[in-house]
Amino acid sequence: MNIDHHEGFQRMIDESLAAAISAEKEQSLREHLATCAPCLEYLSASNRVIAGLSGFSFEVNPTLNARVLVALKLQAQQVRAAQPGRQRLMRQHNVQFKVWAAFAVALSMSIVGSALIYQVAKLLTVPMHFGTAQVQAGVLVFWLLPSFCSALRLLAAPGENRGIA
Amino acid sequence: MESDTQRIALGLRQRDVAVLETLVEQYQYRLVRYLVSLLGRRDGVDDFVQETWLRVLERGESYDGHSRFEPWLFRVARNIALDAMRKRPMFSLDSNEEEGVRSSPASGGPSPYTLAARTEDAERLAHSLQTLEPVYREALVLRFQEDLSLQEISVIVGAPVSTVASRIYRGLATLRPQFEGEIA
Repeated sequence: MNIDHHEGFQRMIDESLAAAISAEKEQSLREHLATCAPCLEYLSASNRVIAGLSGFSFEVNPTLNARVLVALKLQAQQVRAAQPGRQRLMRQHNVQFKVWAAFAVALSMSIVGSALIYQVAKLLTVPMHFGTAQVQAGVLVFWLLPSFCSALRLLAAPGENRGIA
Repeated sequence: MESDTQRIALGLRQRDVAVLETLVEQYQYRLVRYLVSLLGRRDGVDDFVQETWLRVLERGESYDGHSRFEPWLFRVARNIALDAMRKRPMFSLDSNEEEGVRSSPASGGPSPYTLAARTEDAERLAHSLQTLEPVYREALVLRFQEDLSLQEISVIVGAPVSTVASRIYRGLATLRPQFEGEIA
């Protein structure tokens, strides 16, 4: 058997140990190992490396766990103490977002509503003898401005009065 | 039924100290062993261990409970160690942006591996392990001691699976001559 042939199987041994081998290759490797002493020796040396890695036992400082737990408890207390302030801040951000969203919706409804009212009012110009300018002024004064002011009031009112939690 | 990992994730989200206490008990030794493999030294590891658990408390909500806890824990520990190396080069470790961690020769005194060797094979490996590039040593420890899959290791070290596999092969190739020419 030539060297390249062994190298191919030895590569497969590495792959097998790293769990990066297909089932077909694994089967082929098993068959080869049954008859190849050099590859078997390669596998044996590799297995001893792996077994050797398990032969280390590190001393763990007996006070380390206690030290870590004290630090964790202290940190957890600090986090909990800081929590109400953080939550209040998040709530304020949340409320601000909701107010702006409500304002945007109210403004859109005001504009769309004005356009619809204007179309309806235009139909009444002929039977009621109104001019276009009069209709436009009427819609502006009696619809667009009041609804726009209502939308603006959402931004000006304090949070509790907006009915937003 | 709620799995163990989901229970851990819930406990971490709630910053439940009792859950953390259990995790410390369960994973402390493995965390120490991993950090020694990464740093190639024993001193200073306890500080990294403590820092790691504090980070777990602080950012525990980022663990989703869908995968095993160890890879997530080791990744946190690795990030802390690498950050410290970048900030404190006198920690006698060189960092390289492309390779992650590089050589970590211990400065005087017996290596942590010499002190920790409990079997004859381990004693034979101790010196080679100490001088092995940390990225190879880390890959070997994660695969053969922590029993993590290539995919899990890949997530921890932030490298493709093929790179992780290649590190394992090269690590084995460096250590194998210690036992070649012998029948086990």
